[in-house]
Amino acid sequence: MSLGEMFVSGLSAVWGGGTMFLMVIVAIILGTIFGALPGVSATMAVALGLTFTYTMGPVPAIVFLTAIYCSSITGGSITAILFKIPGVPSSAPTTFDGYPMAQRGEAGKALGVALLASAIGGLFSALVMFLLSAPLSRAALAFSNGDMFAITFLGLSILVVLDTKHMLTTIISGLLGLLLACIGQDPMAGVARLTFGQNSLLSGMEMIPVLIGLFAVTEVLKQTNTKKRLSAEDGVGNKGKVNTKMPTVKELLSIKWTLLRCSVVGCVVGILPGAGATIASFMCYTMENKLSKYPEKFGTGIIDGIAASEAANNAATGGAMVPLLCLGIPGGNAAAVMASALALKGVQMGPRLLNVQPEFLSATFITMIITNIVMVIVAIGIAKVFAQILAIPYYYLGPIILLLATIGSFSEGNFVGVTVMVLAGILGIVVKYMHLNSAAIVLGLVLGGMCEKYFSQAFQKAHIVSAEMGAGDYVSKVFGALFGTPIGAVVMTACILLLLSPIYMPLIKKARAKKA
Amino acid sequence: MFELICNVLLFVALGYTYFTHVLEAKVPKSYLKNPNVLHPSVWPKVIIILLLICIAVNIYKIIKKNKGNPEFTFSAFAKNSVAFFKSKMFIGMVVLVIASLVLEPLGFVVTAALIMFCYGMLLGEKKWWRLAIISVVLGIALHIVFSGLLNVNLPRGTVDFLRSFSLFLENLI
Repeated sequence: MSLGEMFVSGLSAVWGGGTMFLMVIVAIILGTIFGALPGVSATMAVALGLTFTYTMGPVPAIVFLTAIYCSSITGGSITAILFKIPGVPSSAPTTFDGYPMAQRGEAGKALGVALLASAIGGLFSALVMFLLSAPLSRAALAFSNGDMFAITFLGLSILVVLDTKHMLTTIISGLLGLLLACIGQDPMAGVARLTFGQNSLLSGMEMIPVLIGLFAVTEVLKQTNTKKRLSAEDGVGNKGKVNTKMPTVKELLSIKWTLLRCSVVGCVVGILPGAGATIASFMCYTMENKLSKYPEKFGTGIIDGIAASEAANNAATGGAMVPLLCLGIPGGNAAAVMASALALKGVQMGPRLLNVQPEFLSATFITMIITNIVMVIVAIGIAKVFAQILAIPYYYLGPIILLLATIGSFSEGNFVGVTVMVLAGILGIVVKYMHLNSAAIVLGLVLGGMCEKYFSQAFQKAHIVSAEMGAGDYVSKVFGALFGTPIGAVVMTACILLLLSPIYMPLIKKARAKKA
Repeated sequence: MFELICNVLLFVALGYTYFTHVLEAKVPKSYLKNPNVLHPSVWPKVIIILLLICIAVNIYKIIKKNKGNPEFTFSAFAKNSVAFFKSKMFIGMVVLVIASLVLEPLGFVVTAALIMFCYGMLLGEKKWWRLAIISVVLGIALHIVFSGLLNVNLPRGTVDFLRSFSLFLENLI
């Protein structure tokens, strides 16, 4: 299918006789509102959005969820600028310059820059995803099982390095996720493992209730103990009403390189499995601060800081879709929720998907284009009435989130799903107190099945190869499975270096300090 | 102390799992005859061993970090535990567990109204009568929207009249 044909097929999938387009608009409005509400992360927004997709086909489902995902990231900037409370974690750097601007009475201008930067970052990453995904998935068809194992494993390894303060607990979290993924029948022999005699666990850990529990229920439980909750009166501006002002051409030209650099970096960070919008926005804010001619002004309320953070976090959304669509490996938590939603519909993500059903890519691309344009208009409207939205007290919002979570967990028609959701919510609290990383647990859980399947198949192949070479011991088979191909060897070496970094990095730092 | 206890419990649970529950059934002999394949217990056992090592290191780090900390005692832990069991968060957990248990017999409409009311009160709504009305209306509205409009399967309950009421709501649209 040519690029032009894909474009047309994407348009027809998103239009869907008008009904689907209306659903996309609904998703954008929902996503922007979810994103603007503090305590509702982009992943939670996507997890709650799942509830609406159970009766949809696979392509409309991914269209709906993508629209929610992109718009929720942008929605987060509204409260970040007006309240200094990021609606989503990736909008945290937006508060550094957005809130000081709002305090100076320039909230409208700050919002305008944030929305425009988000749209530019999002459109750029959508284009990159569209151009990169098809060739990458074709190339991935030639990847061996060992290569796929190494790439899947890389996602978990990167996560360890990103959380430098808690490397050990992140490793424990990732391993726990991998172990949870072992529950049920093993992929090769079909033997029951770790079920503790429970037949309901034979089909494995139910992914969607776990994700909803960890991201939605845990957050509501945490909020139960919070004394001070946000109220509309905390906002700056005229009684909570803000008129968004788009930046002038001169202002836009002054931040053109910031927008370009942050779109590129955000997109690349999004592609890395495990990294996501939050890391992208922090990384780009720091980068722009260092590259700026006036770094001392960062944090005092300048448009460069807002543009850096918002272009980067929205660019990461398109990036995160690349490994999901090409390799079946989710680039982050929200992508993991989407992967679970598609798995529920019997769609096997992976390199073959785009070659057999390219409409998944084209529909996602067109959705991202439409979302990034429409969300600017929607967000301007929402900013005007944000006081009314934030006036919804948490004693209504919290239980409503719980009800949507219950519907989402039960929609598979299984009461066990609701029990799992509640347990996962409570587990999320335990995880917090143990300083474990819930994102690593989820990534391990989502990637665990794939990791084991690819490793088993690579091991099988390595056994045959080593038998032909006359080396039949266990170690050589494992070595062959992991390092049998050039791609696998390079990626696995990178994984080992990343995983061992908690050991050698302090030693290097010590040695450097001694030299100094 | 809570972190330490959780880590120790996790360590013990994983050790127990390693020896008793990795495989819940015998591996077919035909599968074992094939020398090319990986034994089904290898992958989870490797993960458990790595976990045990990491948790052991983590336990050591927690003890080392908290040496001399007056809060790092069993008596302080007991005091904090009492406070936790009295906290709103714990009550919230109990509400959710109860809701998951009554969902099957009472169905979605009643359970949703219960969650909304109990959790709303817990989060600080003072006007209980307003919350009660909103809870009932929201439970009914969500059932109509999701079951009737979006065709999402929601539990109707096993109690006769509640089941009939749910069916009535579904047939409204």
